[in-house]
Amino acid sequence: MFRVMLYTQWKWSRLIILLGTVAAFALPIISMQGAAHADRNPLEAQDLLRTVQSWGTLYPVLAAALGLFVAMAAWAPDHRGRHVHALTLPLPRWRYMLLRCASGAVLLAIPAAAVLAGALLATATATLPPGLQSYPFALATHFVLATAVAYGVFFAVSAATARTAGIILAAVGALIAVQVVAGVANVDFDIVSPLTMIVLGPAGPFAIFTGRWMLVDV
Amino acid sequence: MCKRAGLVLLLGAALARPLMSQATDVQRLRALVDSLSREWVRAGAIADLADSLERQRAFSGRDTIAVGALRIVTDPSPLPVRAAAERVWPVLDSLYGDAAALLAQHPYVIRAFDPDTNVPRSIVYVGLTVPWDMSVAALTRLLVANAPMPPPDQTFVSWFGGPLRPPTRAAQDRTDVYLDLVTAPSTPARACYLGGLRDCRVALGLQSGGDLLDLWYPTAAERRALVNRAFADYFNHGANVLPLHACAAGADTACEALLRRLPAGSLPGPLGAQARTTLVRVAMAMGGRDAYRRLVADPRAPMADRIASAANATLDDVMARWRQAILLSRPPSVALPWWAVSLALGWAAAFGVCALRSSRWRLG
Repeated sequence: MFRVMLYTQWKWSRLIILLGTVAAFALPIISMQGAAHADRNPLEAQDLLRTVQSWGTLYPVLAAALGLFVAMAAWAPDHRGRHVHALTLPLPRWRYMLLRCASGAVLLAIPAAAVLAGALLATATATLPPGLQSYPFALATHFVLATAVAYGVFFAVSAATARTAGIILAAVGALIAVQVVAGVANVDFDIVSPLTMIVLGPAGPFAIFTGRWMLVDV
Repeated sequence: MCKRAGLVLLLGAALARPLMSQATDVQRLRALVDSLSREWVRAGAIADLADSLERQRAFSGRDTIAVGALRIVTDPSPLPVRAAAERVWPVLDSLYGDAAALLAQHPYVIRAFDPDTNVPRSIVYVGLTVPWDMSVAALTRLLVANAPMPPPDQTFVSWFGGPLRPPTRAAQDRTDVYLDLVTAPSTPARACYLGGLRDCRVALGLQSGGDLLDLWYPTAAERRALVNRAFADYFNHGANVLPLHACAAGADTACEALLRRLPAGSLPGPLGAQARTTLVRVAMAMGGRDAYRRLVADPRAPMADRIASAANATLDDVMARWRQAILLSRPPSVALPWWAVSLALGWAAAFGVCALRSSRWRLG
């Protein structure tokens, strides 16, 4: 059953996975551009770190995008078919969900592995100045976890009814509207900042997207 | 003969007039300089008088709080001065050691004001003006940062970048210096990181003699990086524009010429003031209670000798200890800690459970 589910999900999301894999493989290599030259000046450590840091902002974006699109692709055909096919299967709902979720997770392992392969290749061919070290495994772990969280969130939203998704969206929209109105009325009321702190803070669900996404660091 | 004498007379007459006018100009300028000096002395005397009156005004009718050798002159208010002083004194005493006794002659003057009133305050030019609801911690930081120790000599100040103050973020300072050591585009800084104590000396500006530009930035790449990063705006004017472009294009002679045009003392060292601060702190820690007194004892001695004297050790010992402290302050690795990994997995699982429990197939 799982193989069938995996195959159908692969068919639905293969373009996303392929594009994501190419991007995930290329990103570490591009971020180390110039570091591979044998004649690189070892005194340009600061420039190298700056370049790696600039490109590093794209890893969480890629992780979030992959999580979003694979989760959406997992449920799009079911939504289109009004879940009739799923209801005809001799499966309890929780098992069906688990199979769908596991299939998406397996597919997401491909771009995650591509990040690791790209990072290992980039660091193996680079000449790093003394004092700098490469962190391919740490970067790949960071990417895997961020992709897992993004996939979990969007999978839960996609699996829910349109009503649930609407409630979530309306709640977020209401918060933003309240903040905007408070700003216009010149009321000293800030709800977005504390919420951002909760969501992106060290124990928050999206904390994994923050921090330093550095392939090379001191 | 007559002709020659006539010519001499004619020449003499022609030159006498400009020479006389030149002499008048010199006399006029000398008189101007003299009058300026007189004005300078008079202005100084008036400033001293104003200062003395201001100090008298600042000190009169106020309480003096004494903790150790610390003296704080303040007006009665709810400001927690004594509590802050009790925290500040051990900090200053541990830094300045026996020299902290000098603080008894240089009191803090603190004027507390009511933060909840719009009544205009009288302007004072002596001491610190703070709201009386300031917390003990904030007041402690303020007092530590403004310790009224007599300023050290100019040689020390210009090398160190100011007077010596107690550290408020010592660990972070060492971490910043570690980053400087690893990333500074300078051969001595890099060699210091790799273990060359002599290079550490050079990078910290403690070498004796030699051309600073050659010592600090010995290669063409370093000089080019320095011009392009630190002085691109400074040189991007007038006659310096062409050499600046030539330097950016890789002409080392242009880079060197530009850097040699900098005013004396403005060539930045490979390691900044933070590195020097951390070095002096290491020397002070090695030297014990009398370290500060030894550090400022001989303003004419080279800085390297003064630091060694403060530490009561050789400069190489101080350098080795400093380098060790800096290397131990390496910033934390980018690898995620175990708890962050667990937390992310936990959140992913929690969202997964939300999906499993969704109501898609429920009726109604």
